[in-house]
Amino acid sequence: MSAHPRRRAAGRAGVAAVALLLAAVTVAARFPGWPSVPAPRSVPRIATRDTLPVSPVRDSAPLATLDGQTYVAANDLARLIDAVKFWRADVRKLVLRSGRHRITINADNPFVVLDQRTLRLPAEARLLGGEMQIPIALVDSLPRDSAMARLFVEPRQARVVVLPPGGLVRGPQSASLDSLTRWTFLSDRPEEASVASRARGRFRLRFTGYFSGTLPESLPPRSLVRAGRRIGSVSGSAIELQISPEAVGYRLIPETGARRLVLEFWRAPRADLEAFAPEVRPAAGGVRVVVLDAGHGGGDPGVRAGGLAEKDLTLALVRRLREELGARGLTHVLLTRDEDRTLSNDQRAEYANHARADLYLSLHVDGFTSPQARGITILCPPARFGGTPLPPPPRVAPISVMPWRDVAERHAVQSLALAEVLRSTLELNGLGPVRLREMLPTTLIGVDATGLMIECGELTSSAERARLADPASLSRMAALIADGVLAWERSE
Amino acid sequence: MIRRLIVVALALAVLVWLGVRWIGRRTAPPASRVAVVDTLSSAGLRAARLYFAARDGGGLVAEARDLPDRADLHERVTQLVAELDRGPRGAGVAALPPGTSVLHVYLDDRGLMTLDLSRAFRERFEGGTTAEYLALASLVRTLAANVPQVKRVLIVCAGAPLATLGGHLPLDRPLDVSDWP
Repeated sequence: MSAHPRRRAAGRAGVAAVALLLAAVTVAARFPGWPSVPAPRSVPRIATRDTLPVSPVRDSAPLATLDGQTYVAANDLARLIDAVKFWRADVRKLVLRSGRHRITINADNPFVVLDQRTLRLPAEARLLGGEMQIPIALVDSLPRDSAMARLFVEPRQARVVVLPPGGLVRGPQSASLDSLTRWTFLSDRPEEASVASRARGRFRLRFTGYFSGTLPESLPPRSLVRAGRRIGSVSGSAIELQISPEAVGYRLIPETGARRLVLEFWRAPRADLEAFAPEVRPAAGGVRVVVLDAGHGGGDPGVRAGGLAEKDLTLALVRRLREELGARGLTHVLLTRDEDRTLSNDQRAEYANHARADLYLSLHVDGFTSPQARGITILCPPARFGGTPLPPPPRVAPISVMPWRDVAERHAVQSLALAEVLRSTLELNGLGPVRLREMLPTTLIGVDATGLMIECGELTSSAERARLADPASLSRMAALIADGVLAWERSE
Repeated sequence: MIRRLIVVALALAVLVWLGVRWIGRRTAPPASRVAVVDTLSSAGLRAARLYFAARDGGGLVAEARDLPDRADLHERVTQLVAELDRGPRGAGVAALPPGTSVLHVYLDDRGLMTLDLSRAFRERFEGGTTAEYLALASLVRTLAANVPQVKRVLIVCAGAPLATLGGHLPLDRPLDVSDWP
């Protein structure tokens, strides 16, 4: 009798032990993470000299309209805000991580989780053709801080753009008075605007912000601005204006407090005006000394292809051009080299300056690696130099100083005019396309004259190589360049 | 006796539980939410905009490409230049001299990036002005598009200043990204 209760107790203890064992197994299976150490969190990105965060890609993306709602594709949005994408196919969930921000979007669901907030969009995110389409209304809710790119929706152009650090530029409001023409822009950062080209014919204003305004289609007759258009710019935006010759100078006034940028063109001289780029045209017969430079030479053959060398072709071309210019009355034509010898760019520039050249043409032959390359490229100096400002009488004009390296920029306006005449002449005669690049090449560094560098064709292209190798074609090209020079000299 | 049995049962339960945990850890990763996110984070992609030369040499063509996320500036620029060296997937041709790679990158707080490229950049360059222009434009535009802090780029080669790449365009000064439209 005494063992009976003991056995019962032992049985109860055994059942309890089995129950505990089962409970332990169940708990271990159900909560595998407990009581282990929490998983390490990803290391936050810290901006230091060595590890700078990579900022957003500047770009734009098209908008699409579906059932009356406007959408942006998820891949485009991720690119615009420079987000890292995570796709959970099993639950059709997209996570975008941009800087410290996180956006969670579920397909066929109007709710979006943005950091700690839940937003309801006017429509559901949709999967279309394998890509998620997100209602554009999300853009308005995105945080506006340095961790995420600022987006701007342009409904008229059906696109969303990334605003550059300079923000937005709107306007302009234009006013034409007797003495001046004033354009006023609204700008987030007016102090960062700059004049990229001072030439009257191509006056370029560059903003660090995105220009969302529209330029006036028609201008009053007394306006000193004759025309304007938007032009491409890598960072920010830019416009190009054509300024009347009546304008003697300009002022760019950033009003930072008012977030305005004022651009004024004046008819009468003032002490605080900036000057346009010098544009003294040569009088008829004013080009007395022409210096022709045959690119490369001696130990530097330049581009080689098909048994031809650039140095030989350029020498042959400058000799023919000398003849053609002579036949048109330009008899004082000098060559930096008339034989196969090595010359540095400094020696060539020194030769031209010593000869007091009025015109300097450096002829080259191109050699882009693609066999499909074709055409002629003309490089001319950019019009960044403002010359001597016009003083209000009776003051004496101040002296403006520039590095000698950039002296060719003094002649930028005329160089560009000559380049455009040459482009027309060559293209009208079937030698195109002619590309014009406003960029100071090494061959024009230190040359104090109207000057161009001309790449006369692609030696790596079989068709153009045949043209360059043909003496008659070379003579024709020389004749066309000479015609262009003469047309420019006559201001045609 | 009963107490002993209970203690033994408890000890066994704890041992079994720890054993299951140990085996579970060795055989399969925990399927917790945190672990999923951590696994995914290594596969994050970031869009990059790359610029290559047009086949006719007339300019640049842009290509968007998803690349593994790199937060570090040096890694990011190295990755971009490697992709430029790899060449386009669509239209266009590679503009960089083959084998060009990044040795060092330094970005100051005024937006000047000093980009130290390998010797291949200088030694394997071929062509005239167009090839030179497009190689530089491809670099400058790609860096400006993907690292917007960059305002100017100073290119050096193997740690030494580079006066010019092919003799036609000067590199003695930093290249302003705005001058390469």
